[in-house]
Amino acid sequence: MSNGHNIMIIDDEKIVGDMARLSLEQDDYEVETFLNAEPALKRLEEKDFDVIVTDYKMKGIDGMEVLRTVKQFHPAIKVIMITAFANLDTAIEALRGDVHDFFPKPVKIKELKASIRRALEN
Amino acid sequence: MQNGLSGYLQSILNTFRGRKSRPLPFERLFELFRLVLAGNNKAIELITDMGDTLGGDYLFDITYIRRVYAGLSEAIRGSLMNFEELTLQRYSGLPASFTRIDRQIWRMICDQGPSDADPVLFYEDISWDMTSSVGGKNAHLAEVKNNLKLPIPEAFVITVRAFEELIELNDLDGKIGLIGNDSLIPDADTGELYERILHAELPPSVSHAIDMAMDRIKTRCSEACFLSVRSSAEEEDGEYSFAGQFETILNVPLEINAVKDAYKKVVASLFSPRSIAYQKLVGMIPGRLKMAVGCMLMIDPVSSGVVYTAQPSDDRNALLIVAAWGLGTSVVDGSVDADHYVVEKTEDLEIMEKKIGTKASMFVTLASGGIAQTETPVEMRARPCLTAAQIRELAILSMQIEQYYRKSQDIEWAIDSSGKLFILQSRPLRMQKSVKARSADMVPHEEQILMKDRGTAVQRGVGSGRVFVLHHMDDLARFPKGAVLVSKYDSSNFIRVMPYASAILTDTGTSASHMASLCREFRIPTAVNTKDATAVLRHGQEVTVAIDDEGRMTVYDSIIRELRGDGYQDPAQMEDIYEYRKKKYILKHIAPLNLIDPLQDNFTIEGCKTLHDILRFMHEKSVMELVEKARYGCMVARHAAVRLDLPIPAGIIVIDIGGGLSSSGNTEGISLDQVASEPLRGIIRGMIYPGIWRSEAVALKAHDFLSSMMRMPDITADNAELVGYNIAVVSRQYVNLSVRFGYHFSTIDCYCSDIDRNNHIYFRFSGGATDITKRSRRIQLIADILKEYGFNINTKGDIVICRLSNLGKGQIMTILDQLGRLLSYTRQLDAVLHNDSAVRHYTDKFLTGDYTV
Repeated sequence: MSNGHNIMIIDDEKIVGDMARLSLEQDDYEVETFLNAEPALKRLEEKDFDVIVTDYKMKGIDGMEVLRTVKQFHPAIKVIMITAFANLDTAIEALRGDVHDFFPKPVKIKELKASIRRALEN
Repeated sequence: MQNGLSGYLQSILNTFRGRKSRPLPFERLFELFRLVLAGNNKAIELITDMGDTLGGDYLFDITYIRRVYAGLSEAIRGSLMNFEELTLQRYSGLPASFTRIDRQIWRMICDQGPSDADPVLFYEDISWDMTSSVGGKNAHLAEVKNNLKLPIPEAFVITVRAFEELIELNDLDGKIGLIGNDSLIPDADTGELYERILHAELPPSVSHAIDMAMDRIKTRCSEACFLSVRSSAEEEDGEYSFAGQFETILNVPLEINAVKDAYKKVVASLFSPRSIAYQKLVGMIPGRLKMAVGCMLMIDPVSSGVVYTAQPSDDRNALLIVAAWGLGTSVVDGSVDADHYVVEKTEDLEIMEKKIGTKASMFVTLASGGIAQTETPVEMRARPCLTAAQIRELAILSMQIEQYYRKSQDIEWAIDSSGKLFILQSRPLRMQKSVKARSADMVPHEEQILMKDRGTAVQRGVGSGRVFVLHHMDDLARFPKGAVLVSKYDSSNFIRVMPYASAILTDTGTSASHMASLCREFRIPTAVNTKDATAVLRHGQEVTVAIDDEGRMTVYDSIIRELRGDGYQDPAQMEDIYEYRKKKYILKHIAPLNLIDPLQDNFTIEGCKTLHDILRFMHEKSVMELVEKARYGCMVARHAAVRLDLPIPAGIIVIDIGGGLSSSGNTEGISLDQVASEPLRGIIRGMIYPGIWRSEAVALKAHDFLSSMMRMPDITADNAELVGYNIAVVSRQYVNLSVRFGYHFSTIDCYCSDIDRNNHIYFRFSGGATDITKRSRRIQLIADILKEYGFNINTKGDIVICRLSNLGKGQIMTILDQLGRLLSYTRQLDAVLHNDSAVRHYTDKFLTGDYTV
């Protein structure tokens, strides 16, 4: 039974999407995962999502580009950024882009879920 | 006196310098010891961090693994360098052992295959860590053969490298790469690949290597011999069973073309539709898997079968033997009503249950090669396949394998016409995963029950849907999503519909078949050998199959949602994600600890299977290095050496190597208050505990006196171990105390810091004035007392060696106090240990704080 919220995960490593999907589906979210941003952004034209969890560094369209596109065309969607290359500059850049939350990898799933809940409450 | 002390020390040092060259000063040894510990600590912390992160509570990626593993590898490498210097490269094989494990882990992290294996390897040249070259199944079996020396037929493996060369030479890379592409029609695509591999040209190096292997194996056959040619994919029997998914060609004549054709058939089966279905089902990207192939001398068996060293229903106290006449094919394909024996895993190996099957058919080898299914001669059908002695032998061998791997095993075996038992395969047994299944008794309407308590439960759980009665394997293509598969026979081909099946029921079959393994792996509620499911259930009928925790199967008419309710679905687990399992598998080469007990035979460099083992080995041997060198007095005289003035005449000289004394040691004697070394203070406090040091002599009996006289020459001889001296080498956190009281010798070596895992106590006690029997009694008393404190104890004659590590500082200090008391208490105790009951008497007295003798 779905809880009515749709989550999109974009990460070029399959394991991240697979693990996130499993964890979030256990809380009855509808989850779709993508290995790169291009088809993910196309999918936004077809279906409404509440939260996008995206990797920062990806081949092709990166996480910051995803954030800018979403904020421009789908401003209601909250974006959570995750990255294995966390530093202060990337965090500031993401926050300036109106990211909802920013996590260095590895990301504690419990914290990610709490962040998604907060995003949905706002 | 200072000169006197120095002279005394010098004389000791000269004694040892004459014996052996010890180039490192003790201060350097101690520094190296601490560096090894520091490196090990860092490594352990990283292992813990990886264990936590890969435990399923974190989202992680390969960048994280790469970064943390690089740090771990670096820390261990640094520790090894210090360890090598500390031990004067006495354990020269350890760096190579580390490099082997390290290289294997990097390959896994970088997703690389093997690059340096030969195209063909014999079992005797295969070690446990060659999974990526020879496949999981072969590596596992070769380990059983080489380490346990169990009867396994001669065998060689055509390795993954041969597979890679075959694919490259025949230009199949591109085609294989497309397999994972969902846009292609898998059956058509893989069908073409299958054909191309069957007709592929073998690379000359591979072909030559197979020829050579066949020549070699021929020399070991007395007459015409045959091979069984079996798959061993890289991950087969590791995390994934692949049970029955690949081709096995039995009884292949030992002829060049026959063996090579069989090899290609087995390789081609990697791309069969059912294999692709399996790979997709477990979340693999099809086409990534590589295949090694095992070629084993064929046994022409009288009987064969399977052993589960635990019952699949999770009863680990008994093992299950399934047996049939002829080849084991009839057992693993479930085509025969086989014999079942349940054996209790105790010393008596009592047969708790015996069910003799009807065994209407059997598989036999053909003289010209190949196998055939025939009717079992009538007089053999109801006769048990195994004698009581064979059951016992099989149980013992199986338990040996289980004990070695410390995991329940699924073992294939065969007995030849001479009665000799062979192990043909062993892999981890997949137990039933727990699922919540409501008891059948909770359903109110009896009239809804179509079948009850029939057959053998394979996997518990509840599933419902429309019945799909399978009459022909081709019908699988029309299997509807969510249906209940009902079939006369069981088959590993069902893997193709397992993603969609709610439950599976078969008329025949055994819980030991390949299909049963797959159903447990994918948690599909399944019962086999129901006798008449295909007759009772109608095609298209809606049913609910419930198999409860006791293995009772009930089939209800219609879909009963309450039975299947939310809580009764088995939730997906992190372990189900292929990528997760694959990454977590890396940890298996890092975290498990196999070297547990330094007194066990496997505490060797060869026994190091993981990085944790390497760290454990280094720690233990570093402690021993310190113990030995401090014991032999390999310190330099420039350190402060002062007499410790105590209220008892213990005659201890303290040598401070850094922070062990609170004031300058350049005085004739110091008091206990001036000792800053915490472990030494702990021991001394125990030694001077009121009433524990007896000053009056215990009367020796005549033969004890004689015995002590006989031992005198040992003490005065130029024997390094017996020179009398009481020396404590100390730092603030360390002590190595060597004492001789009368005729016995003791060493206590202890490191005691705020970091638990750095701490250790080593205690060695030997000798005495009385006869060997009484001295041995005192050893027994010491061992009995120290057992109470959790020491790992090894006794031999009148020597006891006790080890303890990984304890908190508080516990260490308590134990040192007790050791100090023990040193004083036992000084002359051997003289009063007239019989064995006295040992228990004085042990109890000591443990209750009564120190009177």
